[in-house]
Amino acid sequence: MPDTTRSRASSVRPSLDRLGALVTLCVVLALWLAPFVSVRANRIVAGQPLTAIEALPVSAAAALWAVVLIVAAVALLVRSPWIRLITSVGGLLSLSVTVGFAASVLTPAGDSFARVSPASGFWFLTLGMALLAADSVTRLNFTPGLRLAALALAALALWLVIASGAWDDLSLMKEYASRSDSFGGAVRQHLVLALGSLAGAVITGVPLGILCHRLPALRALILPALNVIQTIPSIALFGILMVPLGFLAATVPLAYAMGVRGIGTAPAVIALFLYSLLPIVANTAVGLAQVSPSVVDAARGMGMSRWQRLFAIEIPLALPVVLAGIRIVLVQNLGLAAVAALIGGGGLGTFIFQGIGQTAIDLVLLGALPIVLMAFVAAIVLDAMVDLAGGARA
Amino acid sequence: MIAIEHLTKRIGETTLVDDVSMVVDTGTITVVVGTSGAGKSTLLRMINRLITPTSGRVLIDGQDTMDIPEDRLRHRIGYVIQGNGLFPHRTVAGNIATVPRLLGWDQKRIRRRVEELLDLFQLDPAEFANKFPRHLSGGQQQRVGVARALAAEPRLLLMDEPFGALDPIIRGKAQADLIAIQRRFGTTIVLVTHDMEEAFHLGDRIAVMNDAQLLQYDTPAQLLTRPAAGFVERLVGSSDRPFRLLSLAKVRDAMEPGDAPGEPIDPDVNLRDALSRLIWAGADRLPVAHGNDTATAHISVSGILSHGRPPQ
Ligand SMILES: Nc1ncnc2c1ncn2[C@@H]1O[C@H](COP(=O)(O)OP(=O)(O)OP(=O)(O)O)[C@@H](O)[C@H]1O
Ligand SMILES: [Mg+2]
Repeated sequence: MPDTTRSRASSVRPSLDRLGALVTLCVVLALWLAPFVSVRANRIVAGQPLTAIEALPVSAAAALWAVVLIVAAVALLVRSPWIRLITSVGGLLSLSVTVGFAASVLTPAGDSFARVSPASGFWFLTLGMALLAADSVTRLNFTPGLRLAALALAALALWLVIASGAWDDLSLMKEYASRSDSFGGAVRQHLVLALGSLAGAVITGVPLGILCHRLPALRALILPALNVIQTIPSIALFGILMVPLGFLAATVPLAYAMGVRGIGTAPAVIALFLYSLLPIVANTAVGLAQVSPSVVDAARGMGMSRWQRLFAIEIPLALPVVLAGIRIVLVQNLGLAAVAALIGGGGLGTFIFQGIGQTAIDLVLLGALPIVLMAFVAAIVLDAMVDLAGGARA
Repeated sequence: MIAIEHLTKRIGETTLVDDVSMVVDTGTITVVVGTSGAGKSTLLRMINRLITPTSGRVLIDGQDTMDIPEDRLRHRIGYVIQGNGLFPHRTVAGNIATVPRLLGWDQKRIRRRVEELLDLFQLDPAEFANKFPRHLSGGQQQRVGVARALAAEPRLLLMDEPFGALDPIIRGKAQADLIAIQRRFGTTIVLVTHDMEEAFHLGDRIAVMNDAQLLQYDTPAQLLTRPAAGFVERLVGSSDRPFRLLSLAKVRDAMEPGDAPGEPIDPDVNLRDALSRLIWAGADRLPVAHGNDTATAHISVSGILSHGRPPQ
């Protein structure tokens, strides 16, 4: 017996070391060779890359090197996930403060055109440390509640960094400053698109999934149809919808009064809704199908009616799978909603496409980073919900 | 009393149950045995209308089950299936409370009933009420399954291979529990199994099914001594038939007057166990007595053996 334990431990060890070594290599090389920030005279010209040593005052550069070496050493030598987590989170915090500091140092006083933005070295450092943190979190095997608490803490930390003004001289924050009046609205519209279509998909998709479960003939009809919709590229689907909706708006005054247009929110929400249906319907049907037949039989044998069985037994037991479908849809919709900007649907995609048009990468990031962040948060929250829903019987 | 009259189930060309008629007396245990696919489950599930008969009918205390709305019928009939079918998302207490809740009992009454049943099955309510099924052993899950079926005090309990998944020791214990509960509440039980041992141990009457047909429906002793020719004879006609017969009779049925030397045997012990005591003790006869009472009767090897063959 002791032998099998030992061999299992030793078979885990090399892969641990591989991650640690990768992180070590990544952070050290990124700090040493790659540009930490890039400085531009204005927001659209090409930038001049600077390494950390070139960009920062000696003391700050030394401090950053010290932090990175500590993270590298811990990644390589320490196995305790707690220590790895604390070190990598500390590293990420110092990194975020340092990059803001570099921006303030490098921005000439009174120059409102100059832009300082994080460069590849910074991103690799972030990636390496985030990898280490994520791996530790996975290995610590947090309960769903703890994961949500950790997420809240991370959000608080991010808010503190932003609110403290540490990043105010970074190009991204300058871009934000010049768009602050439309940013909130764009985020809200993005959420309306993603969540509105999700809500519609849940309201229609769950009953459809139940029907598919009960009527195999319907299932053979609906699932392939939804599958086909999934394969239509988003731009094409938006385009397809513009025609009938435009016609509807032009001919039915009530539809027009309700906000239906060939372009704008309506086709965007409908397209996202159509994409959302397959995962919801399929997961509902699969979730119901995997409920143990003996459990359903017992419920029937005890005199539960069709509806009592559905609501008290089948749906609760299918819930984790249904929630997994909702997770897929939410993450997918948050990303796809960006494309809605192309047909006047608004949302954060507006910044992305404007940025591409102006070759202003900061503006692209102003649209893209919040989307990534929201998708990340949605994934964590829904994963926690899936675990909570299945927790009692996992 | 349950009267099953000409019950038949056909699906397409196949006949699952073919014209079965039998009467189950109130307060008795009837065991349905037969090989796999014989139609035992189908017969059982037609009693609570989980399966609708093609023809024939079932009367419970004279009332045709077709005249009772199916959910109401099932609320009145306990149902236990193999693998217990506990609801994994509900606690032990929640599982047991299923039918009382459907019947709209008030919370206090439900809680009292749940505790009573847990006590009855030797599961400490403080420890088990709030556990989820996955935290229980197989034997505990099975007991909760039976407790759940008994929750609304049904007069009739249907059990489909309830002990199939249990190891022999737990199985013996579960069978003893079931007999005790049946004696205490006078519940009528119809139980399906393909274990002959279990059938002889539990059954007041045994129904033997093969190929959708009811071949014989009799007391265990009749089944052993006068098996119907063919399948039933082969089923019960194995080399241990005398021992089965012995385990059906008690020492009190075979004792003879007069004392004998040695450790006394209780009159309620079955003859099979008594015989093994005699063999083990190397004795030809042993005294019969309750506990420490003085013995006035004895049991002998020859007296026992005469019970191990059909009456002449
Ligand atoms: N829906 C159905 N359609 C067709 N045949 C069926 C159906 N349900 C059961 N059968 C068949 O009917 C026969 C009787 O089934 P039943 O479940 O009553 O057998 P059983 O005696 O309980 O067997 P086991 O001991 O294996 O549980 C089997 O051969 C089975 O394959
Ligand atoms: Mg069966």
